Amino acid sequence: MNTTRRMTMGLLAGAASLGLGIGAVQAQDKEIVIGGSLPMTGVFAFAGLAVEKGMQDYISMVNEAGGIDGYTVRLAYEDTGYKVDQSVAVFNKLTSQEDIHLYYGDSTGFAKTIAPELARSGDMIMGGASFASELNDPEAYPYTFIPGPDYSEMLDILLEYIAQETPGASIALINSDTEFGRDPIKPAKAKAEELGLDVVLEIITPPGAVDVSTEVLKLRRARPDYAIFHGYVLAPQPEFISQAKELGLDTKFMGTFWSMDSSLWAGVGEAADGYMGVMPYRYYYDEDGDAPMLAKIREMQPEYVSTGYMQGFLSAMLMVESAKRVLDAGEEMTGANLKAALNSIEDFDTGGIMGLPISVPGNSVPVGRVYQFSASEGKMLPVSDWISVE
Amino acid sequence: MNPDFLFFIEVSLAGLGSGALLALTALAYVLIYKATRVVNLAVSEVLMLGGYLFFAFAAGWNFSPWLALPLAIIGGGIVGGIVERGLIRPMLGENPISVFMVTVGLGSILVGLTELMWGADPRTLPAFISTKPLFLGEAYVSRKIAVTFVVAAVAMGIFLALFRFWRGGVALRATATDQAAAYSCGINVPGVFSVAWIVGCATAAGAGVLLGAIGGISTTMGVFGLSALVVVIIGGLDSILGALIGGLALGLIQSWAGTYLGGEYSSVVTFGLLIVAIVIRPFGLFGTHEIERL
Repeated sequence: MNTTRRMTMGLLAGAASLGLGIGAVQAQDKEIVIGGSLPMTGVFAFAGLAVEKGMQDYISMVNEAGGIDGYTVRLAYEDTGYKVDQSVAVFNKLTSQEDIHLYYGDSTGFAKTIAPELARSGDMIMGGASFASELNDPEAYPYTFIPGPDYSEMLDILLEYIAQETPGASIALINSDTEFGRDPIKPAKAKAEELGLDVVLEIITPPGAVDVSTEVLKLRRARPDYAIFHGYVLAPQPEFISQAKELGLDTKFMGTFWSMDSSLWAGVGEAADGYMGVMPYRYYYDEDGDAPMLAKIREMQPEYVSTGYMQGFLSAMLMVESAKRVLDAGEEMTGANLKAALNSIEDFDTGGIMGLPISVPGNSVPVGRVYQFSASEGKMLPVSDWISVE
Repeated sequence: MNPDFLFFIEVSLAGLGSGALLALTALAYVLIYKATRVVNLAVSEVLMLGGYLFFAFAAGWNFSPWLALPLAIIGGGIVGGIVERGLIRPMLGENPISVFMVTVGLGSILVGLTELMWGADPRTLPAFISTKPLFLGEAYVSRKIAVTFVVAAVAMGIFLALFRFWRGGVALRATATDQAAAYSCGINVPGVFSVAWIVGCATAAGAGVLLGAIGGISTTMGVFGLSALVVVIIGGLDSILGALIGGLALGLIQSWAGTYLGGEYSSVVTFGLLIVAIVIRPFGLFGTHEIERL
């Protein structure tokens, strides 16, 4: 067969493109992709934007240090608008386009929806924005993890603090009427009883509630020593606190992780002074203790970064550490191996992001500390030691 | 006074206050629907925008809140005018569902623009209403809620009077009744449409500032507008009086349900009422029977 010039050129082009293709495949082979269904718009956008920044910064640090055993790490994500159907669509799209073994999900609803698929494929482990107590069950959710204490454990930390500070204190639980809000009510009541604390009032506010005058009236009747909010980011807590203070109540108000960002409370002003809550990570500006990772964060981000950033940063750290342990053991990147690697983390130094060396015996990292907002400094200041509720 | 009865009075006053805010927001729906027969679902987002405009003027540019307030209201009105002229008027004569869907899309655009301009973090408005508690006799009322009640009552009174006695108000009523007849009488119908959108959106923006003063602002605060939509469906889409009475009634019922049944029943009661209202009086308690149904 005579080869024409055109055929030769075609063959060369084909060979070149094949070569390029092989090169691309090889490049992909040396890459660990973390997938993400991130809420960059919608009701949880404030968290999604911060989480993405935190994950990207940690990934940059890892890559600048040479990656993991020669693998570079990349975050592949898309916006979900904090809608479960969109999160699932993003998951399907990303997992069909990329070889993903680590994933960040945006909500409890998504984590629960996608859990059977994680179990079926056995390809990956998933962390995310949800601290739902239900997810902290390795039997039911074998490939899921929570980068901090679950919501019940957060309440446990607060209740242990209260029991230590004011034995026998009376408590009001104020929760939003959402899956998020209702999560820790039952276990919190059991824990309070165990600690000799008296739950004198339970308030459930409708989703999106603005005016809380009626609820403040209930609070005035019960006059609890502490009121613990859960299921909110900011509103309606400031109005609650403001009205209660004006009515002369001495109640101390507390919250959980997603309502603990100090920049949110700085905007509230004097009414926010004394607001307390549980925080699993150190704040951007924390100077106490040995925290070299915080110093690096401050180098990368000269301006304050929110609590969501820390959550994203630690999520990426736990994912990368799990992948590293799997690669070091020469094992295949499967959900089971990655989860076993995650559970092998014991007394792990997070560089000070969390105040104690951490272990991940199950699905959560049950460590936190109580902080209190100082309006004059515009900062959350620690008022307890780090508390582990393992 | 018996403590339980005093508590009931206080709960009722709180309900009337939050009902007044619902009524004020409902008024924005009614004003636009009454003149143009358009159910403007973007009222919720204009309400949100009002809160953000106030934030921009008062916190960003450090204007006095008392200057920022009218500027936010004017800003809402300008947005209403632009939307009417640019999006709604070209749709005149189109299927009402098409126009309705335009307002749904408009809402998404306003949320997106707000997130682009001010970010996604929830924020607190600079304080401009005192937080000192107010006592009516022995009964406690939140001062912000009391102020909201007074503002809503005054706005409702003004609009009721304007519709009855002012030439422009009469023109608006005439346009609402029969556009062709209004044209033939020399009424500037497109002008009436513009005024209705400007005033309706300005009202929503004002309600947004009040709402933001109580609960802070966020790009999702427009959800409140959905409760106000329940008010106008119960009260009547084209009735200012219906918005007032519907808002106050819904506020009271929500307050009683939240107090005596629990907060988890508040939405159940609200939307239960909506279903009952639609089944029994689909045109609303005070609405016109001939209104077009979607």
